[in-house]
Amino acid sequence: MSESIVLFLKSTAISQAMSSSRLLWPLCETLHFIGLALLVGGAGLMDLRLMGFLKSIPVAAVMQMRKWAVLGVLINVITGSLFFIGAPAQYINNPAWYGKLLFLAVAMINIAVFETTQGKRVLALAAGENTPVSFKVAGAVSMGSWFLVLYFGRMLPFTGNAF
Amino acid sequence: MPEILASLEASSFSTWLRESPSVWAYPTVLTLHTVGLGILVGANWMVDLRVLGFGRAIPLGIITRAFPFMWAGFWLNAITGVLLFVADPTKGTTTVFMWKLAIIACGVALLISLKRKLYGRSVEMDAATLSVKAIAAGSLVVWIAAIATGRWMAYVV
Repeated sequence: MSESIVLFLKSTAISQAMSSSRLLWPLCETLHFIGLALLVGGAGLMDLRLMGFLKSIPVAAVMQMRKWAVLGVLINVITGSLFFIGAPAQYINNPAWYGKLLFLAVAMINIAVFETTQGKRVLALAAGENTPVSFKVAGAVSMGSWFLVLYFGRMLPFTGNAF
Repeated sequence: MPEILASLEASSFSTWLRESPSVWAYPTVLTLHTVGLGILVGANWMVDLRVLGFGRAIPLGIITRAFPFMWAGFWLNAITGVLLFVADPTKGTTTVFMWKLAIIACGVALLISLKRKLYGRSVEMDAATLSVKAIAAGSLVVWIAAIATGRWMAYVV
């Protein structure tokens, strides 16, 4: 089954553009790392505050920077999909790729659960206020899973044939 | 390649970093270099964006707490960068690497001048002056260029 997916993706115009252009791949890699830095900056700020650091910043203020983390994720999902479509065989048999997808899912589920259960409570935390244990756990899970997404991404060239 | 770099490349430490199948060699160094990039550029961008008027609820006098994170990311990358150079000195002789170093020097200079402008500001003081905004805008762009040249190094030699 996976072989037919690879063959289909490689037949698409996007895949052919990604593999035939000398500029497109490095350009998308650059965008992917720009997205990475936006994510680390925006999500890192939030995660640290949730974990109880940087208490002098009101939580609602930290949340204003969240849109930059969302932009980073968006850029990386798009460029990441382009890499996959461009060279599907590099990823589909690569254990690191599944690790990356797994912890991407963990990070997303963590955000969704936290948002739906604590979304209103979190904004009420003023400057100087400590965070409850559940917030600290959510922040730590977020930071840990994003780090593992980055780690497995970096491992792609070493555990398979990706570059 | 100069003789000194050739002997560096032939050294057992360089060979281990480059060729060892151990996950603690090249893969770990490269991962830490990426983590450092995220911390340095990510923290600096959040400050730049705040200075440019985004996230106004964060007081300017408090955003300065991001600077120690930037330095942590910088030193992590200085150390891992030296290790990557030792592992593959040939890449260190390329033009794109010279550009990368020059651009990072600009980024760090902007970081320091931004820190000087922001430190000592009262927490309430909200509006950044035009000159501070110019530094922040420059910093945003310079780090994009640093990332671009860094990525480009994967495609040379």
